[in-house]
Amino acid sequence: MDPPLVALLLFSLTMFSAVLVVPLMVLLLRPAMDISLDVVRGLLSYPYVAWPPLGEWIIFVDRGDHTLIIVRFKDMGIILNTIMIAFSVTVIATTVGVLVALVSARYEFPGRSLLRIMALVPLLYTPFVNAFVAYKIFGDNGLLYHALLKLGMGYTIEVTYIAGVIVAQAMMFWPIVYLNTLAALLQIDPSLEEQAENMGARGFKLFRTVTLPLSLPGIAAGSGLVFIFSMEDLAAPIAFKVDRVISREIIKAIVGSRDVAFLSIEVIVLAGLLLTTALLWLTVVKQYVSLRHYAMIVRGGRWKPRVAKPGPLMYAIIYLVVFPIVIFSMLPQLGVIVYAFSESWVHVLPSGFTLDHFRELARDPNVVNGLRNSLVYSITAAILIIIISTTIAYVASRIRFAGVGALDLLATSPLAIPGLSIALGLVILYSLGSFKDSLVDPFRNPAVLITLAYAIRKGPFTTRAVYAGLQQVHQALEEAGMNLGASRSRVLFTVVLPLIGLNVMAGAIVSFVYCMTEVSTSIVLGALNPEQAPITYVIYEYVTAGYGGGAFIHLAAAIVTMTMALQILAITISNYILRFRYAFLGV
Amino acid sequence: MAEVRLEGVSKYFGRFKALDGISFTVSPGEIFTLLGPSGCGKTTTLRAIAGFEIPEEGRIYIDGVDVTFKKPYERNTAMVFQNYALWPHMTVFDNVAYGLKVRGYSREEIRRRVNWALELLGLKGLENRYPLQLSGGQQQRVALARAIVVEPKVLLFDEPLSNLDAKLRVRVREEIVSLQRRLRITTVYVTHDQEEAMSISDRIAVMDRGHIIQVGTPWEIYSSPANLFVATFMGRSNVLEGVVVSRESDNLYVVDVRGLRIYGVSRDKLEKGDKVKVVIRNEDAELLEEGGMSPNVLEGRVVRTSLIGFAIQMRLLLDNGETVNVYLKNKTSVSEGERLRVYVSPEDVKVYKALEAVEE
Repeated sequence: MDPPLVALLLFSLTMFSAVLVVPLMVLLLRPAMDISLDVVRGLLSYPYVAWPPLGEWIIFVDRGDHTLIIVRFKDMGIILNTIMIAFSVTVIATTVGVLVALVSARYEFPGRSLLRIMALVPLLYTPFVNAFVAYKIFGDNGLLYHALLKLGMGYTIEVTYIAGVIVAQAMMFWPIVYLNTLAALLQIDPSLEEQAENMGARGFKLFRTVTLPLSLPGIAAGSGLVFIFSMEDLAAPIAFKVDRVISREIIKAIVGSRDVAFLSIEVIVLAGLLLTTALLWLTVVKQYVSLRHYAMIVRGGRWKPRVAKPGPLMYAIIYLVVFPIVIFSMLPQLGVIVYAFSESWVHVLPSGFTLDHFRELARDPNVVNGLRNSLVYSITAAILIIIISTTIAYVASRIRFAGVGALDLLATSPLAIPGLSIALGLVILYSLGSFKDSLVDPFRNPAVLITLAYAIRKGPFTTRAVYAGLQQVHQALEEAGMNLGASRSRVLFTVVLPLIGLNVMAGAIVSFVYCMTEVSTSIVLGALNPEQAPITYVIYEYVTAGYGGGAFIHLAAAIVTMTMALQILAITISNYILRFRYAFLGV
Repeated sequence: MAEVRLEGVSKYFGRFKALDGISFTVSPGEIFTLLGPSGCGKTTTLRAIAGFEIPEEGRIYIDGVDVTFKKPYERNTAMVFQNYALWPHMTVFDNVAYGLKVRGYSREEIRRRVNWALELLGLKGLENRYPLQLSGGQQQRVALARAIVVEPKVLLFDEPLSNLDAKLRVRVREEIVSLQRRLRITTVYVTHDQEEAMSISDRIAVMDRGHIIQVGTPWEIYSSPANLFVATFMGRSNVLEGVVVSRESDNLYVVDVRGLRIYGVSRDKLEKGDKVKVVIRNEDAELLEEGGMSPNVLEGRVVRTSLIGFAIQMRLLLDNGETVNVYLKNKTSVSEGERLRVYVSPEDVKVYKALEAVEE
């Protein structure tokens, strides 16, 4: 390495330390200063832990001509609720995700391409609003309730409260498992399965002994992310009126607080709990990822994906189970669009088509201000991301030294670290000591920290694109440059970047879009000074204000519809450039 | 010991005809090699025998039973893949034991048989290793052990040596032959390497563009290639263009190659004036003593010499303007620019009708 490259690397590492490593360490260590037995005892009792659980799992209401079944689940307290929800969502999302991935990877049937596209729709990021649509569908007095009532079978169902959160999140998150599993399945060398068949294995035995173990890294990565995303999710708990979960507890503590001193130790411990769970998962998956490399010992051989024609039973599963699940999961995103274009949706069905909500956006000072803020933060973050991601990816993939593994982990892990924990760590660190009242004090100037947090959190999308590009640039091209006397950084700028420039741009576009839709740090830091808050904070405000379908939620839906269009555009562009379809949506 | 028989097997990939009426019979216990350049259909043939490709036409019989439409797991063949296809998540023991477990053997029996196979292939002590912890040669042996341990009716090899380095390749191929001789399992072997094919096979089928061109023992294929394709595919040779001058005897012809009279044998019926291709193997040329006399004397100037180990390759610019490559032993003192006289005995010169639209 030569001085310019060292400087770039140091800059990148400083950013990671300042925005990720140190704040998270502060978050984990801060409680140690004044933790006491009382605090621990408090965290083990109500409202943090409620044992035995409160309320009812299911309520049957006799309404004369029909019975109403309300599925709601019991309240076990903030900590146990969060874990229980995350666990249930992970189990459901993994089952559905693996099923859909297997079907779409291994069977040839009419509508397969359509299925693959539809399965990606739930991953379109529509902050908050989709959860409200889910609530409209099967929550109190929802579509499901009325549909079953119409059928006149004598009973009807509402899925609300914690049960509603679980269903809504499962609908939102299963495609993450699907994508990761599909990628793993498509990477398995077909001869590994053919060899097993050749040895006499078939059907479920083949799946259990060869296919499943080899796709386990993908499944583990997907379901691990689902677990973390579920713990961090705010939208579904707000929509289904569940306030005893960790994410809402953290937001409740931060919104409206004027000083870091108001943050209770319990809240910091909760954020630390989110973080430790995520880190624990990262270490486990790291094991599997190394196993994944090892699974791909493919040399020579032929590469023809194994696809089969489904039998009658499989056809039934595909069209009667898989398709309905996928279509059902698209409803929240479709509902967002309905909200955006309808005059009102107070009753069962929406009424009136209008473009007023979009016109209103341009006139609303909050929206205009939020959009402008988001654009400034996201563009600045994208520029930082280009510098940091390119540097880290290049150094990690081309230069051998001790600690490369750590560098790689640093570059890819922010995707899996809860944004709420990062945000809280930033708030604590940069409001103390000499940072107080400085440019980075989050209570005065959240803009700086929001931008930096965007750059770190959404950088991995670009890092991955750069990695992919670097894999296609043969090292000999660089060696030829260095052999002729060019320095490392000169080679980077004159040989490597011209070759992978499109990858960098494609990655940066995706990063930019996900910055625009970032929720966790936007809300925590934005709440400290609404004047500097980004658009997602405005959506959050409108959604909570417009609870139950008021005009504000239509406005929020209109904003979100535009960001959805932006995402589709960005993903189409980057997939066109990078020529692989599955890597970028979601995670 | 089982017989493998293919009758008129054709296979399409889309509109591309990968196999065009393939027929052959592999006798019980022999090593039968499918030899040909890449894309000739040899691997597709092998995969059809294993059941990974179902042919559109024709029949495949193993041990007299029609298996054309049987599933791979119903055929009791054992394949060694080009990339070995060792399951990375299983130990050596579990890899080898897999087929036995599927067949429902008792735990005790599995242990006994796996140990036997590992012993046979010199893999004792590696039972608990994972595939990635093994060298290429060891991986290859594990794949072999996994195949033989199930006592298959047919062993199938798909270019099993192509991932090994040159030295190891020779050693492993000898091991495969001696193992096969001991176990006497009917074997179908695919390779594009003619030397490998000749050294291991009882019989060889040379394939080209979905057809079988010639079936025979290695010696038959080498000494009397059925056509220009086989002649040029086996070994290194010179192809010269000429015109038939006369027929000397049953199959011996005189050909004019740009003024040079060449005597050669042909399987084709040739007429005076036919355009022909004359194939002379590099190794069939011999040095002519000073003042010696012989038919088929090639005289010219040495334009290039290169040592290739057991011989020297010389490039001769003949007096008629043709260029030929020859291998010469025991002649180390020739230098570039010198004149040289070599001869080729007429039965080593193969003449083919030029009409055959088979390029080099």
